[in-house]
Amino acid sequence: MEGILFPRGVAEGREGLDAYRARGGYQALDKALKQLFPREVLQEIDASGLRGRGGAGFPTGKKWAFTADTPETPRYIILNGGEDEPGSKKDRVLMESVPHLILEGIILAAYAVGASKAYLYINAAYKDAIESMEQALAEAKKLGYVGERISGKDFGLEVLFAPAPHEYVAGEDTAVIEVIEGKKPLPRQKPPFPATAGLYGKPTAVNNVETLANVAPIILRGSEWYRGIGTAESPGTMVFSLDDQVNRPGVYELPFGTPLRYLIEDCGGGTRDGKKIKAVLPGGPSSAFLTGDQLDVALDHNSVRAAGSSIGCGVIGIFTEGRCIVEETLKIAEFFAAESCGQCPACRMETNTLAMLLKKIQQGQGSAPMLEQFGKVIAFNKGKGFCSLINMPGPPIESAVKLFRSDFEAHLAGKCPGN
Amino acid sequence: MKRICLVCQNVDCKNRGSEEIMKEIQQRATDKGLDDWEVKPYMCFGACQEGPNVVLYPEKSWYAGVKKGDVADIANHMGGGPDVKRLDTIDSSLKELIYQLLDTGVF
Repeated sequence: MEGILFPRGVAEGREGLDAYRARGGYQALDKALKQLFPREVLQEIDASGLRGRGGAGFPTGKKWAFTADTPETPRYIILNGGEDEPGSKKDRVLMESVPHLILEGIILAAYAVGASKAYLYINAAYKDAIESMEQALAEAKKLGYVGERISGKDFGLEVLFAPAPHEYVAGEDTAVIEVIEGKKPLPRQKPPFPATAGLYGKPTAVNNVETLANVAPIILRGSEWYRGIGTAESPGTMVFSLDDQVNRPGVYELPFGTPLRYLIEDCGGGTRDGKKIKAVLPGGPSSAFLTGDQLDVALDHNSVRAAGSSIGCGVIGIFTEGRCIVEETLKIAEFFAAESCGQCPACRMETNTLAMLLKKIQQGQGSAPMLEQFGKVIAFNKGKGFCSLINMPGPPIESAVKLFRSDFEAHLAGKCPGN
Repeated sequence: MKRICLVCQNVDCKNRGSEEIMKEIQQRATDKGLDDWEVKPYMCFGACQEGPNVVLYPEKSWYAGVKKGDVADIANHMGGGPDVKRLDTIDSSLKELIYQLLDTGVF
């Protein structure tokens, strides 16, 4: 299919300025600066139904409106390229492949919310992505798209780079702001949200890389065109990450609403070991498990939620027959226990307790009443942290116990069902 | 079955001296010949602001904000003396959650 972000739906190396312009690059910016007021750009994004691609799926137009409507200045745009979700590679691939598309989105976002400075917050381990964005920035400066009085308008934008530490919590939007301010990546208590009091206390829109990559095409071709792709509540496409459990791992851009089976079988070429799929995490480690019988679920926010899970940032985890779900769930619990920043007592207790319970069960030292404790610990701590990490281990663990109880019972009896 | 004295050793409790407290309780237990007790570290009871936290199990006595000066009274309780009411300040819903966990054998 024709992609919105990748012209052919898959990445094909770095797209230079000429190739980008040949497919309409920077025409959205020209159009906006010549024909549209900032508020009209914002309204177009709002009308498109664009939702954040970093995991939460929050409407981008709403986030921008909160930012633009806060009278304080200066305002800031932050490109969030922290991307430390295990298995996620889409933001990296986007920055390496279509840097101008992202940059044009950033400039449009700044114009829409009245920001005068943008920070490119990129995972410091992503050397190629940083270099790609640096090159694009230099080219855009030459064209006069970044700097003072862009296209002769009373609108200027300074773009700066900020290295992101290689830590999971460093991608949380308030932790991003802390890092740019020169501090440790510790999430702030919300409210206030960054849109009203963000970087240096000023209105700040923190947007995921993929989210910003969608902006220029929407402005160029219109929100109605955009809404014609995907589903009513999840318009557009999403870039999904497939790991080496399939024959063709990589990132695939597909319209929202595409069946999960199509992604795994047609794009990914099926499972590498040829075995039947036992379980899927459709939205990374913080999403609930689906079973192998649910491969026909449509990949959009509502359908995946109705199936009992969430789409997150499009990282698909695949577990074939023979994999033990207790072992997999323990890895997830230990990941969150390790990545909890530790500043909220409830999160520290919850993530450690869940990991400890699972470890006991995995080691054959568990007891049937232990299986009933997960839900209690999760419910007790729900929403008690500054950030959403405290809510993340719940869906995979509770769904694992519910859907794959026989794996847990096998471990209680001292035998791992995996092979 | 051995009775257990769990002393939290996570960051907040540690910052408030829980390592010292655990050693002190161990010492007193040895001195008193409390052979049926085992003094063990615990990773977090979720009452960090009120630490250091000490939980006696299966008695289900939870002592919060424990200072070195409280150790003699706690050891006295472990040896059959009265419980230390002044240190029993933790919210009952958290107690219930943690006691249920301990009942499953997670320690």
